[in-house]
Amino acid sequence: MGDYHSHGGGRGHGCCPTMDLMRSEPMQLVQIIIPIESAHLTVSYLGDLGLLQFKDLNADKSPFQRTYANQIKRCGEMARKLRFFGEQMTKADISPSAMPVTRTHIDLDDLEVKLGELEAELIEVNSNGEKLQRTFNELLEYKLVLQKAGEFFYSAQGHATAQQREIEAHQVGDGSLDSPLLLEQEMLADPSKQVKLGFVSGLVPKEKAMAFERILFRATRGNMFLKQVAIDDPVTDPVSGEKVGKNVFVVFYSGERAKTKILKICEAFGANRYPFTEDVGKQMQMIDEVSWKISELKTTIDVGLIHRDSILKNIGYQFEQWNHLVRREKSIYHTLNMLSLDVTKKCLVAEGWSPVFATSQVQDALQRATYDSNSQVGSIFQVLHTNESPPTYFQTNKFTSAFQEIVDAYGVAKYQEANPGVYTIITFPFLFAVMFGDWGHGICLLLTTLYFIIREKKLSSQKLGDIMEMTFGGRYVIMMMAIFSIYTGLIYNEFFSVPFELFGKSAYACRDSSCRDATTEGLIKVRPAYPFGVDPKWHGTRSELPFLNSLKMKMSILLGVAQMNLGIVLSYFNAKFFRNNLNIWYQFVPQLIFLNSLFGYLSLLIIVKWCTGSKADLYHVMIYMFLSPTDDLGENQLFPGQKTLQLVLLLLALISVPWMLFPKPILLKKQHQERHQGQSYTMLQSTEEMLELDHGHSSHGHGNEEFEFSEVFVHQLIHTIEFVLGAVSNTASYLRLWALSLAHSELSSVFYEKVLLLAWGFNNIIILIIGFIVFIFATVGVLLVMETLSAFLHALRLHWVEFQNKFYEGDGYKFSPFSFALLAEDED
Amino acid sequence: MGFLVTTLIFFLVGVVAALFVRLCCNGGPSTNLFHFTLVVTAVVCCWMMWAIVYLAQLKPLIVPVLSEGE
Repeated sequence: MGDYHSHGGGRGHGCCPTMDLMRSEPMQLVQIIIPIESAHLTVSYLGDLGLLQFKDLNADKSPFQRTYANQIKRCGEMARKLRFFGEQMTKADISPSAMPVTRTHIDLDDLEVKLGELEAELIEVNSNGEKLQRTFNELLEYKLVLQKAGEFFYSAQGHATAQQREIEAHQVGDGSLDSPLLLEQEMLADPSKQVKLGFVSGLVPKEKAMAFERILFRATRGNMFLKQVAIDDPVTDPVSGEKVGKNVFVVFYSGERAKTKILKICEAFGANRYPFTEDVGKQMQMIDEVSWKISELKTTIDVGLIHRDSILKNIGYQFEQWNHLVRREKSIYHTLNMLSLDVTKKCLVAEGWSPVFATSQVQDALQRATYDSNSQVGSIFQVLHTNESPPTYFQTNKFTSAFQEIVDAYGVAKYQEANPGVYTIITFPFLFAVMFGDWGHGICLLLTTLYFIIREKKLSSQKLGDIMEMTFGGRYVIMMMAIFSIYTGLIYNEFFSVPFELFGKSAYACRDSSCRDATTEGLIKVRPAYPFGVDPKWHGTRSELPFLNSLKMKMSILLGVAQMNLGIVLSYFNAKFFRNNLNIWYQFVPQLIFLNSLFGYLSLLIIVKWCTGSKADLYHVMIYMFLSPTDDLGENQLFPGQKTLQLVLLLLALISVPWMLFPKPILLKKQHQERHQGQSYTMLQSTEEMLELDHGHSSHGHGNEEFEFSEVFVHQLIHTIEFVLGAVSNTASYLRLWALSLAHSELSSVFYEKVLLLAWGFNNIIILIIGFIVFIFATVGVLLVMETLSAFLHALRLHWVEFQNKFYEGDGYKFSPFSFALLAEDED
Repeated sequence: MGFLVTTLIFFLVGVVAALFVRLCCNGGPSTNLFHFTLVVTAVVCCWMMWAIVYLAQLKPLIVPVLSEGE
């Protein structure tokens, strides 16, 4: 059984029959006591149901103090591993296949173990692959050294030997006086010593080649010979894995010291050294050996890659499912963390908001969880009474959800107040259409949006860009806008700014058969008014703008007054629903009287002037109604008794202002005093009793409000001023309906006349085609895109400000239940 | 076609639309009331637009003055 909760001055319903979407679903605060063994399954089933918004009962605890922090860490680890797999798959260009996998239930622990295994295997395969790749690259470089160095080795060696002999000869000559003993000894020891040169061969990056040579020269004091040959193609460097241009070099040196220096310099420059034999026969053998090793490694590497790809493919089949599962488990543990642990540590207590109609579904889910988890004890479900304001929940379908989002963007409705979304479904597209009115453009919009609607199943599962996503989300709104635009286009009689005589003959014709003064005096009305819409004869005439401007301005005022009256009437229904009589008599009635005695009267004058064809000046009438109400109206008289009526209306408007302002705060103060009447007697008694009663009084709840008369009065003053001034400014704001409609028709007419007709006039097929293309682009870009957005925005503003400030409070919060379906949307 | 006749036509269209919506998408009293509200709002909006444009042309104060070259 559902329960409605009292709030403030008592809530009720039943003044009028309920209507879908008009007011939030009745919500209740429920408390569920769950035994620990069935907690996980219970939360999982409630997540599937998606109709319970959990309250965080552990809000004061840090994330590490919560009960299930460990589980969340585990889920986080698994999510990290899955992300790693995802990255590896993108690197290997494997996309997770959406293979319809059997819905096998995967245990979280098993999954954790499996993910760990897979991660270790993948890391191992990757590192092995890297090692093999490095060896492969080294072998490739070695082969290059063998090939290239072999070409220039002997000539280089010859040069080096000759150079060395020279240097030694110099040394012998110079050093004869200094330490002659040593030299003599050396010379004596090996008089016929052959010049013994050592060499180092390898690869050095091209850009460092010059520096390499220089430093070698300096370090060995010129006592070396370097021969470099460039390699044409870039070589993959084993260490960095990138392709670098390299040179093959051979350095000839003599002496141990030189050797160590050269080795150190090679290391510093990142030059890779490879051994080289002087023996020619051995060289060929080495080349063959290296080539064979290279091909063997290649096959090994390929096999390794295939193995890795197969691992990734296997992961790919179940990737989405695993991701989904991990996300689900993480959210379940987050929710479990919000529940408070009972003192006995045997059960968890959950509190949350849930719609009243979902009571049986929630209880059913609890029962199923108890059964499926083989628990001895069932969960306890009970409804709590509270004064907290519940979240607002509207059950929308795919058609109404877009309109509800438009309303929610301004402010979510307070719990159970009237939802402007109901009327917005019709009035928003209608006001858009008043500003857009062209049935040619309307048909284009309709075709575009029908494409979206027909393919909506396919498009909703795809990932679209930002703008397309918004357009797709609002497809039903745009459809309604297009349908109404076709209607208003027929009324304004504009098809790409061209009028048609679709509904009978035009009412206007020339005065006489020669049409002499058609351009000076104009036509005359020979038939009754054109039955549907604007007469087609007006288009292109010189007096078209004065006529249409007057028509559209008056239409804007009439539509605006109608919508504002609807807003005020909705405030009446709100007051009736919340049983707030003060609001009915001291807010609704004076507001209605004020608006209608001024602007309602203006609307009446407009209609009377149209019906009688009088030449009265309505500006004059309205202004002098205020400035000199008792004056005679003269030629501005539209109907007998107008002067008295104006006086009465003026009086009504004047008294409605203090009627809005004063009674409500005074009566509120009286109500407050009556409620606490009992208190004022007990306060005369002793202070202890007073304190006791104070505690008791605060525990009642709703008596806890303090009443500041000045605050309430100022609030009412602001409200009154806003309404009174707003009545004028909001009515004038509706003139934007005229302004945008004029802009649209002028743009449309300019594109038609100055582009299409101009191109037609040249009688050249190419110019016609170019003109047509320019016309299409201009129409789509300016009129169909920019004007649509512009009219959309202004219609939205009219709803959000002028319509909703008559009755809407919009300070509620939205119902966001714990639901796996919503979770999936969030992640994407 | 006078003003009253066309108003009557709008009214009949509204009645037909309400019946049609009731027949095709019946979903309980509150949903029916919601659909009915939508239909009534739409018909009233469309009628207002037509009526305003029609009344404005009943007894016009200015007449079309053709521009040169027509």
